[in-house]
Amino acid sequence: MQGSYNIEQQTLAALARGERAATEQIYRDNYHIVSGWIVKHGGVAGDVTDLFQEAMVVLFGKAQDSEFKLTCSIGTYLFAICKHLWYKRLNKNDKSPEVLTDSLGTDDDRTGIAYEDDISVHIEREAHYEQLEFALDDLGEPCRSLLKAFYYQEKSMQEIAADFGYTNPDNAKTQKYKCLTRLKKIFYAKQG
Amino acid sequence: MSVNKKISELAESYLAGTMAPEELDVLTARLRSDSVFAAEFQETLDLLRSMVDSGKHRRFKNMLRDVHQEVIDTPVKQKKNYFIFSGQLWRTVGVAASVAFVASTVTFWSLKPTLNKTESKYNTISREVKGLKIAQAKQIEKQKQLEIDLDKTIKSTPPPSDVKKTGTGFALTNNGYFVTAYHVLHDENGYGDSVYILNNDGQYFKASLVTFDADADVAIMKVDRAGFRFADGDLPYTFSKSKAGLGTHIFTLGYPTDELSYSEGYISSRNGFDGNTLQYTLELPVGHGQSGSPMIDGKGNILGLLTAVGSQKEEKTYAVSAKAITDLLQQLPDEKSIKLPKYPKISRIGREQQIDKIEDFTFVVKVYKK
Repeated sequence: MQGSYNIEQQTLAALARGERAATEQIYRDNYHIVSGWIVKHGGVAGDVTDLFQEAMVVLFGKAQDSEFKLTCSIGTYLFAICKHLWYKRLNKNDKSPEVLTDSLGTDDDRTGIAYEDDISVHIEREAHYEQLEFALDDLGEPCRSLLKAFYYQEKSMQEIAADFGYTNPDNAKTQKYKCLTRLKKIFYAKQG
Repeated sequence: MSVNKKISELAESYLAGTMAPEELDVLTARLRSDSVFAAEFQETLDLLRSMVDSGKHRRFKNMLRDVHQEVIDTPVKQKKNYFIFSGQLWRTVGVAASVAFVASTVTFWSLKPTLNKTESKYNTISREVKGLKIAQAKQIEKQKQLEIDLDKTIKSTPPPSDVKKTGTGFALTNNGYFVTAYHVLHDENGYGDSVYILNNDGQYFKASLVTFDADADVAIMKVDRAGFRFADGDLPYTFSKSKAGLGTHIFTLGYPTDELSYSEGYISSRNGFDGNTLQYTLELPVGHGQSGSPMIDGKGNILGLLTAVGSQKEEKTYAVSAKAITDLLQQLPDEKSIKLPKYPKISRIGREQQIDKIEDFTFVVKVYKK
């Protein structure tokens, strides 16, 4: 038991680092279990992909916290998150709200709330990123592309200097700081 | 501007942990003394963290899409001996209720394309009803290779296409061999593109045809996945080699939907339709989708495999005797030989427990066609 727990924690740590092998393994091991359940509960293939990937992102987000320890297996966690997400979606569409109470009744109340919390944190985070995205759009070019190249595509200042036509990486860096300052203004102005 | 630039730079090296100790001291001192600067600095840190995290999440999401394509969506390779389906969904061999009502003279209908047509009433009728092109089907049948050449590399992948037919299958061995009704896989329009089983846990596994007997309506298949097991432990049932007597109580487990369904009944006639000695006639309520379900006696002996139901007047159910399965297995070449369990493991337990043991070894068989 202890051994398999350690393996799961290692897989989780690899997932947190964004390692592909771990991600593939978790995907392969759990997708179909979730898929079967969602389809049984009125979902279609597209729903399954959306939900499962969202649950993976929730887990990825949780795993970023090095303090995070699983209280159940990765599979159980993903399955629970998917269930919650699916019921959330059903509620939103007002398809069959009564399903919620019925089937969630099987979860322990406290863990149920824990999953809800994880999902709320995830939704807040996504909204935050979306705000950031809007701010980047307002920033205009070349700042928008420059910051995206650095932070999203992880390009080096060397590459960015070449791509954006700066004479050297230091100039590109100076530009990046200017862009960040402007981004900060736009972002917090929106927030305020 | 220069102060702001300074803050961004400071925040960046602070986050990266690349700050020189003396620089860090200066920063700490200023953060303590200058609250405006401290607030600015905090905002900048938050923004940088957000940018880094957002990038990380974004890359992760992109990777997920990629992983999904590779792990889940990998397309099934096109092969030349592909199945052709006209797109009609038949859930069982049995007379679909609507068909039966329309053609009131029909007493039996089956999808067996290679039936001997000389005398069989039901063969003729089935042609009338469904327009079976028997000669053509027969020819295709002959040409058909036994092996359905399907992509063996895909593991537990849900099929990309629509379900055309569903039936039930049950395990022959724990490592992936199973049996179902041949007509689930093949009708007068040919085969489907691919066959998957869907187990009780909602997992899909791709399967390939190993061998079949179209006349008997029996198909042996195998789950493609390496190291596959239906469940822990041994098969709970065994296969009866002799024919069971009139009045023997039997039960079945099958999937009229994706939910497992139980029903029980008895052997009402030693032979099947039109005196077919390979079959039994049963009093047993079954639903569409239960073709290929096991017919089991109280001790856990598989007596047969459900194949067809009669018209609405008779309400008979027909099962192929287990002998057709064991005979077919004996024709397999040595290297593929399948060892069936010798004794049932559920002869002395109650029905609920029997079902509990058997259900892991029964599953939905889904035939797909793009």
